[in-house]
Amino acid sequence: MLSKIFEALYNKAFVNIVTDDNFTKVYIEIVSKKGLLSSVKDVFETESIGEDMQEFISSYISQTPYTYISVLDTSMRQGAIPTCSRNRMDYFYDISGCEHKCYANKWTYYTYIDEIYKLEERYKGLGLDLIFSPFVVLANFFKDKIDTYMAMYILILDGYMALAVFDNSELLYAEYIDTKHIQESEDILSDDMSSDLDDNIDLDDVAVDNVEDIESLDDFADIEDLDSLEDIDEFSESKDIEEELQVEAEEEVEVNSSFGDDYNRFTMIQNSINHFYKDERYNSQFIETAYIADNVGISGDLKKYLEEEMFLSVYVRKIDVVSEICDLAKLEIGV
Amino acid sequence: MKYSYINPRKKSIFTPELQLLLTFFSVAFFMLIATYMFLVFKDYRFVKDKSDILKERTDLNSSIFTMNKKIAFIEKESMLAEKIYTKNAVLKDSISNLFDLVPQRITLSQASLLKNGLILYGITPNKDIYNFMLQAPLRSIFQKSYSSFYPAKNGWLRFVSTNYMGESDVRVNDADSPEELIGEN
Repeated sequence: MLSKIFEALYNKAFVNIVTDDNFTKVYIEIVSKKGLLSSVKDVFETESIGEDMQEFISSYISQTPYTYISVLDTSMRQGAIPTCSRNRMDYFYDISGCEHKCYANKWTYYTYIDEIYKLEERYKGLGLDLIFSPFVVLANFFKDKIDTYMAMYILILDGYMALAVFDNSELLYAEYIDTKHIQESEDILSDDMSSDLDDNIDLDDVAVDNVEDIESLDDFADIEDLDSLEDIDEFSESKDIEEELQVEAEEEVEVNSSFGDDYNRFTMIQNSINHFYKDERYNSQFIETAYIADNVGISGDLKKYLEEEMFLSVYVRKIDVVSEICDLAKLEIGV
Repeated sequence: MKYSYINPRKKSIFTPELQLLLTFFSVAFFMLIATYMFLVFKDYRFVKDKSDILKERTDLNSSIFTMNKKIAFIEKESMLAEKIYTKNAVLKDSISNLFDLVPQRITLSQASLLKNGLILYGITPNKDIYNFMLQAPLRSIFQKSYSSFYPAKNGWLRFVSTNYMGESDVRVNDADSPEELIGEN
């Protein structure tokens, strides 16, 4: 009772930290009962908590005892599985030694407990209140789409990607991908790339096996039909007009990503989709649309690759992950 | 809905610095209260002791007054006892002297010692023995002395000797005056 009174009297400080490849983004919001009082964002070129970063955060958290420090879990050994049933979890992934949470009683996200300990150890000086999974960030960011569309959703961070396939809010597949070290293993991958590409997209093989598909391909081969708009209607049905309008409005996108980075990302997405299609454990469905939450400023190349190579309708939304984490923290605390 | 892998730490406005400050203030406040309570208690005890002492003093004064009264009474009793003792001693000496006065041949049957006189009843063989052996010493002691005789059956004489020291007559069996009767010798 007394604590509730004190809580109402004091402002709350939400400190949100995302550690990317070589730098750390810190976003702080000071919130009163009436609403947002102030917010500040800063980027520190270090992965660890330096003195300047500690000083910056301490200057805000010293103002109120009600401080909530949230971080994004960027550890490699995390993921999400399409069940909340404890019995079925092991079918998808051995989650012993993992901390796991069920999302909306539909799917589960997990990470290793020792990774949580590592995070707690890293933020020992400041203290740590909340650790969020990138899959939760992704699910909340695309909540409007996930509930109504069957699509692939990708959260692109600097060095990491969280990829998930949802069908009307049901998770079909999820993978957390490290793109940071892809450059190091690029040489190894490049040897197999051509064969991988062949393996990944076996649309020709699939079509050959099915006689009806062959017939439809015959129709498809008719150049005259291709020119008619009626035949293209099937494709246009899957278009997300609302999203396209939104993307047009956000046309001015800051590009920070290089061609190589985007190509690597494309490769990893392709591998991941291939895995989704081939792995019998997952309820494979043909993906036609991809929604990308872009936190790094990808170039148009990734979208182009995905559209041209994988025939996906791709929509890119800019995301500020630290702000999203802040929103999650506020939801969690109940502000 | 809970999204985080971990639960937020318990938040409290009582930071370690504030806790230290509050501890110091609490101790100081406690000491102040304790001192105040001690003083209030001592004051209460002092007032109570004072009241008890005043009551005790009143009791003692009352007791002293009673004892003084008793002492005065005892002193009076003592004085009276001493007076009686002296008087008795004088009386004893007087009786002793009286009996010393009476010769062997005269027998006293009754003696009345008055405040200022003496009445003797007795038997004498004859008047001469009485006059010479008893009358003479009585006259030397008393200012007035009267004697009367009447004969007894055996031929002796019964006598009544009335002696007094003042001018007034000796009154026998006077209720107002102390009187001593002495049986037959």
